[in-house]
Amino acid sequence: MPRPVKRALPLLALCTAVLALGACGSSNNDGGAAATVDNGSGGQRGGTLTLLTSQDIQSLDPGITYGSLDLNLLSSAVRTLYAYAPDNPTDIQPDLAASAPQVSPDGKTLTVRIRSGVKFGPPVNREVTSRDVKYAIERGFNPHVANPYASTYYGDVVGADRATGGPIAGIKTPDNQTIVFELTRPTASLLAQATVLPLSAPVPPEYAKPLDAKSPSTYGNHLVSSGPYMISADRDGDVLGNGYVPGRSLRLVRNPNWSAATDDRPAYLNEVDFRIGGSPTVSGRQVLAGDGLVLGDSPTPALVKKAYQTARDQIFFSPGAGSRYAALNTAIPPFDDANLRKAVSAALDREQMRRIRGGEIVGEIASHFLYPGVLGFEEGGGQDGTGADFLENPQGDRALAERYMRAAGYADGRYTGDETLQIVGLAGAPDSNDAQIVDQTLQDLGFKTQLKLVDVSVMYGRFCGVPRARVHVCPNLGWIRDFADPQTVLNPAFNGNFIFPENNPNWPQLNDPAINRAMARGELTVGDQARADAWGAIDRQVTATGAAIPWLWDRQPNVFSADVRCVPELWNQGHCDFAYTSLK
Amino acid sequence: MAAYVLRRVLWGLVLLVLVSLLTFVVFYVLPSADPAQLRAGRNASPATLAQIRDSLGLDRPLTAQYWTFLSQVAFHANLGYSYFSQAPVGSLLVDRLPATISLTLGAIVIWVLVAVPLGVVAATRRGTWVDKLTTGGALLGISAPVYWLGLVALYLFADDIGIWPLFPGAGSYVPFTDDPWQWFTSLILPWIVLASTFTAVYARLLRGNMIEVLSEDYVRTARAKGLSERRVVWRHGLRAAVTPLVTLAGLDIGLLLGGAVLTETVFGIPGIGRLNYEAIVHADYPVIQGTVLLAACFVIVANIAVDVAYAYLDPRVRTA
Repeated sequence: MPRPVKRALPLLALCTAVLALGACGSSNNDGGAAATVDNGSGGQRGGTLTLLTSQDIQSLDPGITYGSLDLNLLSSAVRTLYAYAPDNPTDIQPDLAASAPQVSPDGKTLTVRIRSGVKFGPPVNREVTSRDVKYAIERGFNPHVANPYASTYYGDVVGADRATGGPIAGIKTPDNQTIVFELTRPTASLLAQATVLPLSAPVPPEYAKPLDAKSPSTYGNHLVSSGPYMISADRDGDVLGNGYVPGRSLRLVRNPNWSAATDDRPAYLNEVDFRIGGSPTVSGRQVLAGDGLVLGDSPTPALVKKAYQTARDQIFFSPGAGSRYAALNTAIPPFDDANLRKAVSAALDREQMRRIRGGEIVGEIASHFLYPGVLGFEEGGGQDGTGADFLENPQGDRALAERYMRAAGYADGRYTGDETLQIVGLAGAPDSNDAQIVDQTLQDLGFKTQLKLVDVSVMYGRFCGVPRARVHVCPNLGWIRDFADPQTVLNPAFNGNFIFPENNPNWPQLNDPAINRAMARGELTVGDQARADAWGAIDRQVTATGAAIPWLWDRQPNVFSADVRCVPELWNQGHCDFAYTSLK
Repeated sequence: MAAYVLRRVLWGLVLLVLVSLLTFVVFYVLPSADPAQLRAGRNASPATLAQIRDSLGLDRPLTAQYWTFLSQVAFHANLGYSYFSQAPVGSLLVDRLPATISLTLGAIVIWVLVAVPLGVVAATRRGTWVDKLTTGGALLGISAPVYWLGLVALYLFADDIGIWPLFPGAGSYVPFTDDPWQWFTSLILPWIVLASTFTAVYARLLRGNMIEVLSEDYVRTARAKGLSERRVVWRHGLRAAVTPLVTLAGLDIGLLLGGAVLTETVFGIPGIGRLNYEAIVHADYPVIQGTVLLAACFVIVANIAVDVAYAYLDPRVRTA
C-alpha cells in the first residue's frame, strides 16, 4: 500500500552521471533480489550512531506512524507483535509475540501468545500485557488518533466497523499473555502479517488515555518504549523539548527496562542521535567522510556516484524498494480505450526513463506490478514479465504502437482527436525528465498534451488522487508494499472499490468487474502459495489492461560511514536497523 | 515623535492582521497540499480523512477557523499547535529564533564592517585598481547564489569535508548558552556566506552614493574651508551617503530575521527559515502562519527603527 508522501516516492533519482559508471550492478552488492545481507551477528557493543536527515519525524505515535524513516525509528523503540528480520523481508517472525500466529481452520480467528517479561520503559515501568496491545489497536480507531491503515487491515475484526476508540468486541484478551482476534471474514493470515506495522505495538492505557482524549492525541510526544531503545524524556515521559526537538534533533537511548532475554535483537548501540534539518548534499559527504554516521535521506546522485566509485562498502542498494508506473485514466476518453493505452505502453521508452535516473543501478525495468520481494512476484511473471506484447520491448516498439493505434481506429497509426491531454508529473529532475519522456511519447503518437509539473503532495493531493481533476496521465507514481503480501500492492491501486473522490489510490481508476471479483476472492484466499497464485494471476490481469505502465522496480541506495556496520532493513528500503547495526 | 511612533505601531498591527489573513487565504485557495492527506497517507479511506480533519479542526468553516486563530493570538497569545509535531507553535518559534538572530546579527556586523570601508575607498579612489577590485568583487558576490557559495565554503573550509579544514562544518551549530566558543566557531562560515551578498550590494550602493555626495556643493565648501579630506569624507560625505542605505538595511535585517532559509539549510542551522520551509512542505498551516507573522513583525519593527534612525541621521526628517 502506498505510504505517506515521503515514503511513497523515496528514491531520489540518480543523475545521468551515474550511468557513466557503466558496469553498475555487476558487483556482489548489486542490489539484486538475491543480494546477501549482513544479519548483524557478532557486532561490537557500545557507541553512538548519528543519523543525518533533512526530514523531520512525521509522528512518534505508533498509532499514526506510516513513513519510512519513522518506521525505522519506531522499530527499535516499540515492539510489534511480529516483525521482519532485517535480512528476510518476506517471512514474519515473532517480536512481542512468543510464537507463530495461530490461525483457525476457517481463517476467522487469529490467536497470538505474547512473551512474558517484556516491560514498558519509564515512566510506566510495568510488564506488557495483551491488554496493552488490545488498547493500542483500539485507539487506532479513535478519531483523535485516526490510524491510516486500521480500517484496511483490522476492518474485518468483529465490531471494528463501529469502533471509535473504545473496546472492540472482536479483540479478546483471555489472559495477560494472549490476544484473540475474531473476524467477520477469513482474513486472519493477512491480519497476522499486518501486525508488523506499528499499530500492534503495546500502549499502556492508564498512561495514554488522557493523552488520547486530546484532539489530536499527544501520545506520540509521550511515547512509552517497549523496545531496546527509548526516546530520551523527562520524568513524566514527555519527549518534546527533551529527547525530541522538532526539526532539530532526536535522541534514542537505551530503555533501562529492556531485557535481552526477551528479545532476539542484539541492540549493540548505546545511543542513536538524529540530527534533523541539514542539506542531503552536505550530509551525504559528511557521512562518507565521517565516523559513526548514517544518512537518513536518499543520497544525491553525485553522492551515489562518489560512493559507488570510491567507497563501495559504504553504500547498499536495497532491492524491493517499490515500483514506479505511469497511470492512464481509464475513466475518461481517450484512455477508456484499451488499445490506445496499449499503444502508449508499447511506444514508451522505459529504458530511457531508467537511464535518466541512473541506469541499472537504480533498479530493474518493470514489466508488471508485483515487484521483487513481494509474494506472488514469480507467479505474476517474475523477471520475464507477463507476456504482454506491449511491454516486451523496454526501448519501446513504434511499429507495435502503431498497430494498436490502428486497432483503436486510427488508420495511419496516429491519434487524431482534438482534446488536449492533461499530464501531471513531478517537478524537479529526474522525475520531471521522466514525465517529459511520457509527454513526448504521447505527442509522437499524435496526442495534444499539456504537461504540468508540481510538488509531490500537490500531484497526489490535488490532481492524480482526485478523479474530478480529470487528469489523463500521471507518469510519476510510486507504490510501496506495507508488508510482503501482494494484496497490499494490488488491491487499493487497481480495485474499483477503492476509487474515492479524494485521496484516491486507484490512480488509473481501473474498475474492471472481473478484476474486482478476482481481488475479492484473493482477499479471502488462505495460504502463502495459494495467495501467491491468486494475486500473481491478478497481476497478470491488471497488466493486460494497460491501465498503467510499469517502468521501474526500485532499488534504494543507503550510505553510511566506514566504521558503521550497517544491517539494512530489507523490508523498509534498506535503512540501517538500529537494533542490529553496530560500530566497528 | 512619540505620536508618530505610536501611529506606526498601530498601523503595524493592522498590517499584521492583513498578513495573517492573506496567509490564510493563500494557504486554502492556492493548490497546495492537504494537511489531512499528508498526515493520513495515501491508503487512508475517506472516513479516516474525515476523522483527521475533525481532529485538526479542518472541517470547520474557514471563517470560524480564521476567527479562532485570530482570537487565540489576540487574547491568549496562542499561535496554536503544529499539525505535524503537535508542538506549540510559540515554543517552536522560541526554539528556532536564537539561531536566526545569531546568524543575522553576525552577518550584519561583517557586512557593515566590510561594505562601508570598501564602498568609501572605491568611491574616493575611482578608476584605480582598488575601485576595480572592489566593484568586480562586488559583482561576483552579488552573482553567487548563497546556496552554492555555502557549499563551496563547506567543501573548502569545513573541518569534516573541507580541503582545508579550518572551521566547523554543517550541523555543528550549538546555542550560545550551551557553548559560546562552539557557537562562535560554528557560525563563522555561515556569517561570511550570508554576509557576502549583502556586502557586495551595500559596497556598490555606498560607492555610488558617495561619488554623488562628494560632488555636492556643501562638500566642496567643506574642502574650501580647509577641512581635512578624511573629515570631509567620513564625517560629511559618509553621513549623507549612508542614509538611504539605512532604509534598505532595515528591510534586509527584518527579512533575514524572518529566516535565511538557504543559509540555514546548507549549514544545518535550525532557524526560523528552516522551520518555515519545513512547515510549507508539510502543509503545517499553524507553523506557516506563525513564521510568516514573525517575519512580518520583524519587517515592521525594522521599518519603525529605520524611521527613527533616519530622523537621527537626517535633521530635515526630524523637523518635518
